[in-house]
Amino acid sequence: MPDLVSDSGQSSVVPLSPDSPTPVVCPLHHGLKPPISRLSLSWSRGNSLRVSVFRKPAEDGEAGGKVVEVKLGDGDGEIGDAQWRRIAYGSVSPFALLQSRKNSMLSMSRVSASSSPYGAEWWDYVMEYSREINVLLGGQKLPPSSVIEDPKTVLKKVEEPNCLKAAWELMEIFYADKQIQTWTPERLLDWLADYDSLLSGTQPTVHSKLVNFEKELVGLQAIEEDAKYWEAISSALAVGWLDIAVKMLRLHGSYQLDQLGSRELENGLVEAVAVLISKMPRMRPGLAPGKLGECYKTKPDFIKAWETWRAQITKLDCSAFWVQCDHRQTREGLKNLLQIMLGNANILSSATCHWIELHISHLLYIRPFTMGLESMYSLAQKCMQLKPMSSPHKLMRLLLGILGENIEVVLAECSRSFGPWIVAHAVELLTAGSTQADILLHEERYNLGGISMEELHRLVYAQVLSSHALTWQIAPIYLTSCMKQGMGLLEILLYKQPVQHNKILLKNIEICRLYELDNVRSKITKIAGVHQWKHGKKGSGVFWLQQARDEVRLNRIAQQLFDFVGKSISDESFKQWEGLIELLGSETRTAGGLEFLHKYRDFKRSLQKVRDGIATAAAQKAAESLILLMKNPSTPHRFWLPLLYDSLKLFNWQECPLLNVSQTNLLLNKLQGLSMARLRPDFIEADLPPQALSSVRLALATNLGRAILEE
Amino acid sequence: MEKPVATLDKGTTCSSWNYCGQRLATGSIDGTLAIFDSIDPASSSFTCTYRSRVREVSIVKVVWVPPEYGDAVACICEDGTLSLWEEVVDDTKSLQWKLCKEFERSSNQVLDVQFGVSVTGLKLVSSYSDGYVKVYELLDPLELKNWQLQAEFQNVIDSVSKFGKAACLSASVSWSPQRVENQQLSFILGFNSNVMQLNSAKVWEFDQDHQKWLPVAELALPGDKGDPVYAVAWAPNIGRPYEVIATSTSKGIAIWHVGLNPDLDGRLSIEKVALLSGNEGEVWQMEWDMSGMTLATTGSDNTVRLLQSNLNGVWQEQVAFEPTT
Amino acid sequence: MAMNGAPHPLQVHRLPQPNYIDFVRWVPPLSALDRLVAAAVFDSSSSTSALQILSVTLTQTQTQTHPADLTLQSSWPSPSRITALSLSLLRHKPLLAAATADGSIHLIAADPVDLGVDSVGSGAIHAGPVSGIDLVEGGSEIVSVGDDGRVNLVSLNESRLSHRRVFDGNGLVGFAAAKWASPAEFATGGLGFGVQWWDNRKPGGPVSQFKGNWARGTASGIVHSIDIHPSRKHTVIAGGSSGTVFAWDLRWQQQPIILSGVATGEAQAHSPLESEVWEVRYDNYMHSLNIGNISSSRILPVMTCSEDGILAVVEQDEEPIELLAEPCAINSFDIDGQNPSDVICSLEWESIAILSRP
Repeated sequence: MPDLVSDSGQSSVVPLSPDSPTPVVCPLHHGLKPPISRLSLSWSRGNSLRVSVFRKPAEDGEAGGKVVEVKLGDGDGEIGDAQWRRIAYGSVSPFALLQSRKNSMLSMSRVSASSSPYGAEWWDYVMEYSREINVLLGGQKLPPSSVIEDPKTVLKKVEEPNCLKAAWELMEIFYADKQIQTWTPERLLDWLADYDSLLSGTQPTVHSKLVNFEKELVGLQAIEEDAKYWEAISSALAVGWLDIAVKMLRLHGSYQLDQLGSRELENGLVEAVAVLISKMPRMRPGLAPGKLGECYKTKPDFIKAWETWRAQITKLDCSAFWVQCDHRQTREGLKNLLQIMLGNANILSSATCHWIELHISHLLYIRPFTMGLESMYSLAQKCMQLKPMSSPHKLMRLLLGILGENIEVVLAECSRSFGPWIVAHAVELLTAGSTQADILLHEERYNLGGISMEELHRLVYAQVLSSHALTWQIAPIYLTSCMKQGMGLLEILLYKQPVQHNKILLKNIEICRLYELDNVRSKITKIAGVHQWKHGKKGSGVFWLQQARDEVRLNRIAQQLFDFVGKSISDESFKQWEGLIELLGSETRTAGGLEFLHKYRDFKRSLQKVRDGIATAAAQKAAESLILLMKNPSTPHRFWLPLLYDSLKLFNWQECPLLNVSQTNLLLNKLQGLSMARLRPDFIEADLPPQALSSVRLALATNLGRAILEE
Repeated sequence: MEKPVATLDKGTTCSSWNYCGQRLATGSIDGTLAIFDSIDPASSSFTCTYRSRVREVSIVKVVWVPPEYGDAVACICEDGTLSLWEEVVDDTKSLQWKLCKEFERSSNQVLDVQFGVSVTGLKLVSSYSDGYVKVYELLDPLELKNWQLQAEFQNVIDSVSKFGKAACLSASVSWSPQRVENQQLSFILGFNSNVMQLNSAKVWEFDQDHQKWLPVAELALPGDKGDPVYAVAWAPNIGRPYEVIATSTSKGIAIWHVGLNPDLDGRLSIEKVALLSGNEGEVWQMEWDMSGMTLATTGSDNTVRLLQSNLNGVWQEQVAFEPTT
Repeated sequence: MAMNGAPHPLQVHRLPQPNYIDFVRWVPPLSALDRLVAAAVFDSSSSTSALQILSVTLTQTQTQTHPADLTLQSSWPSPSRITALSLSLLRHKPLLAAATADGSIHLIAADPVDLGVDSVGSGAIHAGPVSGIDLVEGGSEIVSVGDDGRVNLVSLNESRLSHRRVFDGNGLVGFAAAKWASPAEFATGGLGFGVQWWDNRKPGGPVSQFKGNWARGTASGIVHSIDIHPSRKHTVIAGGSSGTVFAWDLRWQQQPIILSGVATGEAQAHSPLESEVWEVRYDNYMHSLNIGNISSSRILPVMTCSEDGILAVVEQDEEPIELLAEPCAINSFDIDGQNPSDVICSLEWESIAILSRP
């Protein structure tokens, strides 16, 4: 993938970065031996670009060139192609449902003329949408490590975390979930607990610290002697992973049965701290099973509980028991934990690794009553100063954009780090969560050709979908949600599908039907018709041209048949065009021409019957058909001679003359006319033997003679 | 991730994909026309299904005929000839590429050719080394044999002046990609020649009332009018209130906004919104993606560049792809 | 649309797959424990096609067992995309016929022991894609049709498939579906809502045919799939464009019975099915016991799947019963012969759905 930007391969060639100073340079691997003479470009569907690379001619047995396809803004390393498509498929229904709800709410509000188009239930809809999308992003479920829980397993994972889901959840927390506005810090804490490992890639985190410790744990005998044990507990506690902190505390040697007696006091202190940790008041409605703390739903209750809890910690901290505890590491370690809970900034700083961890620890222990984004943002700035990052992780850049309430940064970050899919879908969360975003995203911009950013992002995502054979059919969902340019792009997309394949053509037509794109339908069926016609599938060709109601081409086909009939034809080719006449139907084309063709077909048929047998009745019928044809003004003059020549057998009928005197005279007159017409310059000579005219004349004369005798 | 989709024959000089990107036509130095296909429409692996030496001289450009008129290509050869080849089933019921039209030879070479589709039918515009363009019309929608010359003129604003001794190295034509069928047919044309007046890119529109092609816009600022034009590309318009056209000259790649409706003089308003340094040296080819938002270019520096506008309307080069083994 | 008024609900399990599924068929189980599926798959990243045998893994919950996953048992690489698939039992062994986009047909046998699949014969039969094939019941004789307007009878001759051309439309007609009625008779369907009846013993052309009217523009269409009930050989069921499902009774050839859609009749006020009907099949589920009681002029229930994602059972003069309404196309389906309550479908979005009816 063209690595358009920094850390992720998710390039989206989206016009978003207001000032990217230099273009990104990417290699384009073609696998040819140099020298290269030139390149040639072609856009395929969507955003896939095909580059032909031509070599300078050389006698070295190498290929003369290669065509390589580059798909822009498609897939990064983290999520495989198949998974991406699954996400794309899965997000269609939630997206479409939300759009239809939005539209019906808008039309309702127009009727009721209420000030805000969105009612309270709108938030429920947005959250429902967000959750459905969130589920799709779930990573690979990890197999359960073992049935019996290992006491020494500190970290449990049920699924492999991925950045896309982490990013989505961040936006859900800050924009969509109005229920949790009062407990955002707690949500952020949960978020970090799920995704801290993703940050470990670039720098150490509490998670990586715990992972490392977990590895050593197995080999440790008296773990409370080890400074790392206490460090690990402090870190877990600092970032609020209470269950882990308590679980690790209970691995303390004093819990072991053989030591219980001798280390009674020590054990009492450990347990006291563990109890305090597990009783930490938390400003949130509830906790997942296994998680610790006491939940409070309202702020006054929480503040009261918090103060009581803090008082208990202070009391324990000042307790006389510490003096009696002779295990130094335990005493210091526990005291340290108390300091964390008391909000000692220095200790918090040393217990955490990443700035976001420090941030969380501050929210938990120093500013438990902090709410607003503004204060969270300034706190984040402070934490970053304390724990600077060499190259900020994409999730952190996103978080900073959110905390800084800078929608443009959030969008740009989403776009360049996570790709067009997330932008197109997260716009719903952003606009729901912020008026500023709503205005920014819906404002029509002349520079973008009169569309809004929301529409732009949908168009860009639709382009990504269009470039894959299995996802292009989804693109219309997004394109039709675009007010201005979606239909334009949809028409082009449908036009660019390969229509010579019936299945694709029919799927394409179905989309035209759904969105009432009759003009596109007739265009593509026309293309299909011409393709089939020219590739020998004349039946299909006529069928599709009829579907396209392409009178011009159908008339041309009728004309061609006409020309064809002018020549005397073999039985085999007669079958051919007879079939075609059938297909063309009886609608009038080429001013009565088809009527003639039908009559001519009837004549030919009866003539054939005559040839097969010697039934006079059949011959009689053929003769009648001939007279009808010759009398009919729609029969073109140039067919006269071929018709007569084909009928020679009838004129020379053995049993009796088939034509009476007046009929024969009629034919002789026509023949006379034909001889006259031959002198004219525009006369088209039929493709017949040179003696045709004279043999017809002779036969007619014979017939006349016999008819006269008969009468 | 770049993915190889086809391997080309030795001596291949040019290539062109059809409307849906499912067929590739290539021309080569020995006059061979080759067609690449994939059996399945969802597959992106193309193999040669037809190969024939159609000419004694090198093919320099292949252009697909719009699909409404069949599977056919126009070939421009090194000797300046133009011919049309079509895939049809012949009387023996086998599928063949056949020569269906050879445009008359003249002392002037064909430099570029492009097809435009309108309600009235298929049009072909070809540009010649003497600075002339010819517009042909197809007479029969089912046969690519019969073409009628509809117009012949030089790429100059002032139709009175004629330049007899023009020598043009290259020309570039681009039809306006129409979405609405009843839209007026128009194309943009620029030359790289020794006659200043011929060079600048001009928008030509067919005037139904007078049955005449008229220049309705000149995409060059007063000081740049004589600059040789290497390539032009008219962007698809999926709903913008203006057209976007890219032109490239020695000064770089210019992006133009062109008004949709003519003023009282019949001229379209133009605005040059960007001039980018572009590829070093000459730009040979510029291609708009299907939304008309991204322009891909390539030229003598053998680099692919992608240009886009940001939200503030500032055009920038976003990526450069450098071919490497 | 009539609601499914069954006492306990229909169970649907959607199983995402790593590939696009062109066709699915139940494979009669080789042992009592297996539930097997044959799937024609297409891998878009490698542009390769294969015929796979998958086994259905069941999961036990408190109240019931349900399909949890499909496990690949064996795979036969196809030279090009599979465009039609048919299955029969030959001496109790499953035999599959796969037709491909390059015009070839392959007979593939499944091994009852290790579930392996192997080609037992193949041949290039058509020019261009084969659009419909059918294996005769209990045998290896195949009828195949194509866009090229050819009808072929294909049989196995010492690991080679040889064919006899029954008809060559020379491109004037295009066929899309074929189905045996008896070892000597079969029906085909195709462009212009045409249905043809053929008899091996009467060569030269179809014995009888129903010609749709081509010139009706959008009211005309293509028959994509046909089915014939073993006990009602005189009636051909056809499904095609614009939600059209009709029955063509050889005894009343001029008047097809429209079950759904526009077909050749008057446009109905509302048709429950509107888009392409990709497959039709007689549904034995409800009527397996009392088929003898139904008048022979009444059309038996037919299951259909369509481009707009509807899997439904259509009955004469009744509202169709909608079993599934997916946001994407249902491209093929199959009813389990042994256990007709179970239906399997392949969905456009690279997944398979297994339904079990109450």
